[in-house]
Order: sequence, then C-alpha cells, then structure tokens
Amino acid sequence: MSKPLVIFDKVQKHFGSFVAVKGLDFEIHQGEFLAIMGPSGCGKTTTLRMLAGLEEPSVGEIRLNGRVMNDVAPHERDTPLVWQSLALFPFLTARENVEFGLKMRGVSKAERKQRAIKWLDKMGILEFENRHISTLSGGQRQRVALARSLVMEPQILLLDEPLSALDAHLVIRMQAVLTDLQRELGITFVYVTHSQSEAFAMADRVIIMGKGEIGQIGTPKEIYRAPANRFVAEFVGRNNILAGKVKSVDGRAAEITTPSGIFTVPTNEVQLLEGHSASFVISADLMHIATEEPLGTNKVFCKLISEEFVGSMVTLFLEDAQGHEFKVQMQERELSKFDLHSGDEIWLSWDVQSAHVLNES
Amino acid sequence: MSEKYEIRLNIYALTWRLPIIFWQLIFFVGPVLFMVAMSFFLVKNYRMNEAFEFVNWSRMMTRGFFWDSYWYTLGIATLSTFCAMCVAFPAAFALAFRAAESTRRWAIFLLIIPFFTSYLVRTFSWFVILSESGVVNAVLGYVGLGPFKMLNTDFGTLVGYMTLTLPLVVILQTVTMANIDKSLIEAARNLGCSPLRTIWQVIIPLSKTGLIIAAIFCFILSFGDFVAPFYLGGSQEPTLPILILDTTKSGQQWPRAAVVAIMMMVTLFVIAFTGIALAYRKGKGSK
Amino acid sequence: MKQSQTLNFILGIYVVMIFAFVFAPIIFSMVFSFNSQRFPTIPLGEFSTEWYEKVLADPDIWKAARNSLIVSFSTALIATFLGFCTAYSDFRYNFRFKGPYLALILLPPTIPLIIMALAMLAWLSKIGMSGQLYSIIIAHSVLTAPFAMAVIRLRLNQMDPDLESAAWNLGGSEWKTMRYVIVPFCKPAIFSSLFLTAAVSFDEFAVSWFVSGLNSTLPVVVLEIVQGNIDPQVNAIGTFVFLTSMTLVVLAQLFFASRQIKGMQS
Repeated sequence: MSKPLVIFDKVQKHFGSFVAVKGLDFEIHQGEFLAIMGPSGCGKTTTLRMLAGLEEPSVGEIRLNGRVMNDVAPHERDTPLVWQSLALFPFLTARENVEFGLKMRGVSKAERKQRAIKWLDKMGILEFENRHISTLSGGQRQRVALARSLVMEPQILLLDEPLSALDAHLVIRMQAVLTDLQRELGITFVYVTHSQSEAFAMADRVIIMGKGEIGQIGTPKEIYRAPANRFVAEFVGRNNILAGKVKSVDGRAAEITTPSGIFTVPTNEVQLLEGHSASFVISADLMHIATEEPLGTNKVFCKLISEEFVGSMVTLFLEDAQGHEFKVQMQERELSKFDLHSGDEIWLSWDVQSAHVLNES
Repeated sequence: MSEKYEIRLNIYALTWRLPIIFWQLIFFVGPVLFMVAMSFFLVKNYRMNEAFEFVNWSRMMTRGFFWDSYWYTLGIATLSTFCAMCVAFPAAFALAFRAAESTRRWAIFLLIIPFFTSYLVRTFSWFVILSESGVVNAVLGYVGLGPFKMLNTDFGTLVGYMTLTLPLVVILQTVTMANIDKSLIEAARNLGCSPLRTIWQVIIPLSKTGLIIAAIFCFILSFGDFVAPFYLGGSQEPTLPILILDTTKSGQQWPRAAVVAIMMMVTLFVIAFTGIALAYRKGKGSK
Repeated sequence: MKQSQTLNFILGIYVVMIFAFVFAPIIFSMVFSFNSQRFPTIPLGEFSTEWYEKVLADPDIWKAARNSLIVSFSTALIATFLGFCTAYSDFRYNFRFKGPYLALILLPPTIPLIIMALAMLAWLSKIGMSGQLYSIIIAHSVLTAPFAMAVIRLRLNQMDPDLESAAWNLGGSEWKTMRYVIVPFCKPAIFSSLFLTAAVSFDEFAVSWFVSGLNSTLPVVVLEIVQGNIDPQVNAIGTFVFLTSMTLVVLAQLFFASRQIKGMQS
C-alpha cells in the first residue's frame, strides 16, 4: 500500500433536505482492494457514484491523483464501474459491449477488436464473442461486464454489489475470480456491498458505513476483533455485546457491572471513568463452553435456546437468567463432545483479553 | 433513488426539451387561442375582421337552432355511449373471463384493424347496406319483412357512431376487466353470489375506472363526429359538428363556428372532468 | 369454476356477431369493389374490375394518392422526431412545469377533429400557411405526435435505468451516448412510431379537408366523391387504402419481431 490514489476530503452529499452522506474523510491507496460495506441506505452507493462522477459532492472535495474531480464530467474520468444490474447494452454482442468504452475513447476498430478479444479470453468467455447478451447466463454476463470495464485498463475499478444477482455457488467462484484478478493486475478495486462475508473475504481494507457516516476503517481482522463502536459491532455480527457501568479502573484493566454480572475487560485506548457507562464486545468464536463452572471472572450461566449449522461451523444461541442473548461459534466436532440439547444449561466463559471495549462516541 | 447526472441546463438538454415547446405553441396553442379570439371577430361582406364584439355569442346563444342542436347532440351522444357500452359489455365480458389469453390477444389485434381502414369508406358501406334497396332490406324482403327506413334516422346515426366507437370500447372494456383481481370474483362466487349478482356487485365496481374512461372516450368521439349524423342521419336535426361544418364551409362564418366549437369544448371538458373525478374517487365498497 | 356450456356458447356467438358488425362494412366494401353493379346489393352482379380500372385511370386520384404519401411520410418523420424529443426529456429530466409540458403534447387527441380542423384552418390562414400540402403536414404532426411520444416513452421504460450512466461511465459524452445507446435501443419503437403516425395520417380526412385547399389527399377525394352520388369507386379506393395501412402495420410488427429474435429485447 503506497501513496493515496483517491482522497475524500470532508465530502457531504445532500438531496434536498435529506443528507445522504454526512462527512467522509478517507483515502484509497493505490493497488488495494477496498470494500465499502453497510446496510441499505447507508450512503455507500452514493459514495461510489460520487467517485464515478454521477453525483456531485454538495460539500468537500474528491481528489484523484491530486486533481480535484468535483467538476469533472463522468465521461471524462477513468473510473469504470461494474453495475449491480450489469447495465450491459442489450442491442450489442458480447464483444461489442466490451469494445464500447474503447469506441468512445476513439480507439481504432482493429485495436478495439484485438483488445476486446484478449479480455474476453482472459475472462474465459471468448466463445460467446458474437452472441447477444440476452442469450448468456448470469455468470457469463457478469464476466462480460467485468471485461467491459477492465479492457479500459484503468487505475481504479468501481464495483457496485456486482455479485448480488448471482446464485450462491457462483458468488463464491466469482469472489475468487475477483480477488485473483485484482492481485494479478494491481488495479485498485473499490467494492461496495451489504454482505459482510463478501467484504471480509475479498478486501484488504474495509470501510463500514452507517447513516451516511464512516463507522470504522480497517482490515477485516481489525474490525472483527476490535470494532470501534457499537454500530460497527452490531453490524459485523456474530459477537456478544454487553453494556453496563464502570465499577473500577486499575491500569490496563477495568471492571464493568452489567445485568449479567461483573466482568473484567482490557482498557486498550479507550478512556474509562468510574461510574460512567461502557460497553464491550466478545467475538462468538472466542467464547468457551463448559459443563462445570470455570475459574475467572468472565463467566455466565446460560440456557441453550437453539443451534445454527453452516457447514462445519455451528453457532449456539444461549440466554442467561436475565434474558440476555449470547452467541458462541465453534466447530461442530467440538460441540459434539458435549451432547447438548435445547434447554440444557452450561457455563460460558471468555478470556479477559478476548473482550474489546467499544468507543461510545 | 439518487438524481440523475444533470445539474445545469445545457445545450444537450435544451435540444431535446425545446422543439416540442416551439412546435406546439405555434401550431397547437396558437390555433386554439386564435379560435377563441375569433369568436369575437366580425364578418362583413364575406370578410373577417378582427374585433372584440359579442355579437356572435349573443346571436348563437339566443338562437333556437343552436340550442336545439346542442341538446340533440348531447342527447344522441349520450345515447350512443350508452348503446356502445351495453353492446360491448357482453363481448368484453366473454373475452375477459371466458376466452383463453391467446384468443383474447388475437381478438384485440383484430379490433385494431378498423383503425387502419377509412372511416369514411366504412360509413359509405353502411349507407349502401342500410338503404332501402340495400342488402339488409333485400334480405328482410326474402322473409317478407320491410322495407325499413334506416337511413336519415337516429338509428342510422347510431349505427354510424357504433362503427366509430365499438372497437375502441370493446378493447378498453376487455383490457380493464381482464386485469381485475380474479381471486375477488372467485371469493364472491364462493360466498354464494350468483353469476349475475357477481357481475353487478363485484366485477363492475372493480372495473369502474376503466369503464368510465371507456365511456368518456366513446362520448368524446360521438360528440365530435360529423360523418355519422351527416351521411347516415341525413335529414335529422343537425348536430353541433355539422353546424361547424356548415358554418365554415358554406357560410364562411368562421367566428360563429368558433362559438359552437368553444361551447363543445367546454361541454366536453366538464363531462371529462366529472367523469375522471368519478372514475378515480375512492367510492364506498370498492375494495 | 364450473361454467355453463350453453352460456359460453351464447357468449361466443355474441362475440362473433360483434366482430361481424365491425368487419361487415370493411368486407362489404372489398367484395363490392369487384362487383359490376353500380348500386351494391344482393343478388350480386358479375365480377368486375371496372371500378379499379376507373380509379387507376383517374389522374386526380393519382395526384391525391401521391399527396397522401408525401403527407404521411413527412408527418411520420416530424411527429416521430417531436415524440422522441419529448419522450426522452420526460424520461431523463425532472423539471418544473413538467406537467404543462407533457400536457402540451398529449392534449390534441382529446379535442374533436372537427374543432381542430376549424382552429387549424383559421390560424394557418392567418399566418399565411394554409392551403398547401405542408399545412396538412403541420396539422397531422400535431395530431399524431402524442402517439409517437407514447410509443417511444413506453420503450424507454423498458430500458435499464443505469444504461445511460453506464455509457457515460465508459467515456461516452451525452451526445455520443444518445447516438450509440439511446437511439439504437429505441429503434423498434422509432420504427413503430413512424409506421403508426404514417398510418393515422394516411386515413385522416377532417383536418385535411379543411386545410388542404386544392391539394387534396386521398381521404379528401373520397369525401368529395361520397358527397356526390353513390359511386363504387370509393370501394376500390377504400380497399387500396386498407391494404396500404395494413402493409405498414405488418411491416412495423415484423420489424419489431425480428429485433426480438436478434435478442434486442433487454
């Protein structure tokens, strides 16, 4: 990751009285795979569109390679976008679709054809060169859309939830295709999605957005293990959030009183003051279960409510005496050692270092 | 949905937006406004002079023949609408509820064909068919009936109006009824509603909007047509369109024709407006 | 739902009767265009093509036919152009007074033709543009533009809303996008519109009669003949007009269908 390719400087976007994007300040590094993730309406697509020039920032600047882009028309930018609906031209063949951008830039017919064929081949769909796109399958169309943007050999490629229309098995395959492609070409990818699994699987860095603001920017691991605030913690999911009042602070550790019990947490960078409210999060896969009461302060006695299986992983949903829900994620073969049924009661525990205090602001 | 990329008005946007404005202002708004103004002009010695006098209006409004014609036109157009809507209904019902979808589509396609034939020639055909020595009377003669006088009667005029309006009315009624929620009809039948009651209590209220629209179109067409009453109605009371025709073509009294035209437009506007308000009003019992 | 067989049968007969009523004058006209009798009735006379011969030999009718073709062709071009501009403006832009803007193009069909005829005649006379072929072209374009606009607007509804943005995104300026994306996409609708407006113009007689002066089109000639005595030539002309219109419609449909086969429908 080297110097910034794109800088968003105090960018806001208003639609009349509605503020879609409240204040964005971030950089996009050259050669990175950046995912922008968030629930519907969080402003992620608006952000992408501003980068492509399809919306103009109401406040602030967007700089690409140091150049202010606010007044640059979309067709004068070099920011090809892979659309959610693919937006392929229905009256053109696959190859003609791929050639389109080159044609607009004035590239000669022979060269267009040659470059288009090269990229169709690279995407594995050369045999469909002369087919009209309505005759192609979803996956094939997806590849045409990619080829159409990549043939432009841009510095930066924008993708707006490109896999959302695909079948589940194709999604996994296309994720691999995209990550390999990005690594091979070294192009900067900016990938917008609402799916956490997609973003975490493919991206080098992730920006989590909510209600027009940035919740957190970081690597997938950073965000998962150390969510910056409650919104990010709740959105990223499969974790346990406990809230209460600070009982005491002792250097690097603090005690927090919650309805479920008094627990010890590491303070990290967050300032904890006695008597103030605080919340912390523990990832579901860092929870341990045991039939006998474990040692240590961080434990809760719970009742098993339900189980959810995804492949070899299972998520347990439990409830303590106060009705607070807990999630535990473990391998199925680990769980089978316990022979648990719905309604059984077991102990949950976690290491002090597994907890992460959330920034309340 | 975010706004499309366009903040400032540019040459591109104006190129597409302006042509129709210029064209329609000059060639549509102009004629209509001029016609209104013309109703206040004077005609002296077969020449029209621009003026602002009410004499055309006072003359028309006080003349018996105008009001006779007005009420007659209103009456016969209403009758025509009533007849067309009733005649079309069983056919539309059959096409909407009893016919297969492909049959329905073929039927609608066939009904579009008359729009591409000459209405004049069709009227001429009816003139010949209905005349005293025409086909209908000849056939009736074989069974010992007639001959009936069908031309130069209101009957003839109505036949003419139906030729003009029936295809459209059938199409509109069919499309409206084919698109209503079939499950509601099934529910009604399920609850013991007889077929006839179902039609009256369920189907018609559900199709209310489309049916009223069809009736409005039918009325506008009948009200404004001069061919049917002129060629098939003959010696009957002149309708307002015929009044315009006579006043313009033979009398050169364009201002008076303009008065008639304006009265027609106002009437149609009121009826259409009322009709649309009725059509889209959320009445009691409709869903 | 059990349906009464007899009722369905009766309804079926009824529908056939309706179609008989609608098509009787058309078929009648065509049949009797080949009938030798001067006054068409039964029993039929002999098969004869004399009315066609008479029509084809009449130079006034040829002139009128030529005028009709010129008028409908020109009307088609102008109306389709105006319809396209308006449909695109409606599709792409939101602006104040959009309501009145659309009303401007969509109102003409709500006004009875006889009134439009009078208004057109008076106005075109005042600005010195009456009595010529272009007078009819102008009037017809006003009357048929709404249909062109509706046809093209419906087609634009079928377009992926991101298609235009995608073209810009790939380097196409607004003009280039119009040329290489919007127009090609609308091609079936543009051709449909051309044929539809031509067909409507071809049959229109009321406004033509008023504003054409001495430059009659075919429907005006028919009108003048019909005002006189019973003349079966009208049947011959009517059949020609019908065949022309139907050819245009069939061509329009074929055009539409062939595009679908080539996978043009998105």
